[in-house]
Amino acid sequence: MTESGNDMLAAEYVLGLLEGEELARARNLVRQDEAFGREVAAWAMRTAPLLAQYEAVEPPKSVWRNIEQRISRNSQDRMIGKVGKNVVPLHRRVGFWQALAGGATALAASLALVLVAWHRPATQLQVPPQSQRSPQPMLAMLESDDGEMEMFATWNPAGRRLTVAAVAPSPPRAGRSHELWMIGSDGKPHSMGVMPEKEMMSVKIASSLADRLSEGVTLAVSDEPSGGSPTGTPTGPVIATGKLQRA
Amino acid sequence: MERNSDLSAKAAVSQSLSPLLEAVADGDSGALEDLYEQTSAKLYGICLRMLRSEAEAEETLQDVYLTVWRKASKFDGERASPVTWLSVIARNKAIDRLRRPSLPRSEIDSAAEVEDNRLSALELLEKGEESDRLVDCLNELEERHAAAIKSAFFEGITYSELAERSSVPLGTMKSWIRRSLIRLRGCMER
Repeated sequence: MTESGNDMLAAEYVLGLLEGEELARARNLVRQDEAFGREVAAWAMRTAPLLAQYEAVEPPKSVWRNIEQRISRNSQDRMIGKVGKNVVPLHRRVGFWQALAGGATALAASLALVLVAWHRPATQLQVPPQSQRSPQPMLAMLESDDGEMEMFATWNPAGRRLTVAAVAPSPPRAGRSHELWMIGSDGKPHSMGVMPEKEMMSVKIASSLADRLSEGVTLAVSDEPSGGSPTGTPTGPVIATGKLQRA
Repeated sequence: MERNSDLSAKAAVSQSLSPLLEAVADGDSGALEDLYEQTSAKLYGICLRMLRSEAEAEETLQDVYLTVWRKASKFDGERASPVTWLSVIARNKAIDRLRRPSLPRSEIDSAAEVEDNRLSALELLEKGEESDRLVDCLNELEERHAAAIKSAFFEGITYSELAERSSVPLGTMKSWIRRSLIRLRGCMER
């Protein structure tokens, strides 16, 4: 029995019958009471078969475009075409974690390994120096204030693919998100998107932003409200920063 | 006959979503797009039915996929079916949106935290939904009580709205529903 004697609060919460004070009470219990949480899950399970009865309705195309934007903040260009499935999460690369344990030179070696997989055939790398965007892959080691390497990023301009991974993932607190920024030559931060809780991401970057991701550009991760900064510039503490360098 | 093939087709689609969710958890945005293509109609349907407004449903749908992007690592393929997991997230978000005006300011500020805790509760979801049991058990209830429970579920209406619709006092509606829920639970646990 709960304090109020309402045995069915969890069921009422799942069904959506509650409002005002009763709802606030149930939400508190979800936050604090494990047994209540289990009862909520049980009722979600019991009523789950009803979910199948909702009719499917196609949403307008604009919805996906907005989602895309919030994930990788490409304000100008749409993502063209499907992103390849040949992205292997960084931690699965052979020798990656061992290399981290082994020290700087081993790390450099294994990072080279990581980037080799993304290289286009050698001929395509011979780009005339006047080319606006160098196809050479780059990496950045993002460090915290006290010099600890928190994350690293690799940038493959040829595929416009940016991956970022935390060295030792520490997901944001409840209600917070980690957001990635790039600070270009204009000194202004531009959002590169909100990170998943697993602290690894692999996203295709819009041409307009991609053109600006060159050697020397700073990447930074900040702690923001859930879903990312509401203002479009960092509002929370900076977790780590690093400069892009040639691999 | 048809029902069996429906179920296995459904199972086939739901199965292919698990690897997609895994890939999303690994931060692959291309996988999120694939997942969206396969599931957005279902989830939009949920939002639209609950919110009864295209504008609200579209915004909520965005929030749903943003949550999936950030929290896909919480999905346990061993325990839950992907479609169920996604649908519960969508329905919860729709309810949250409906109830926002009724909540005190402090509750609105802590919304993200409640969402996180609710996702943790979702981790306890188990595979194997018992469709037939629920239908049978609902049928054991008085028709108007079963109808009220279904209205609450599908449309997200509150006790006071239910009471108004049926022209009964709030207290009466509450005790009807609570008793029915107790019976429902008893029936399903048999």
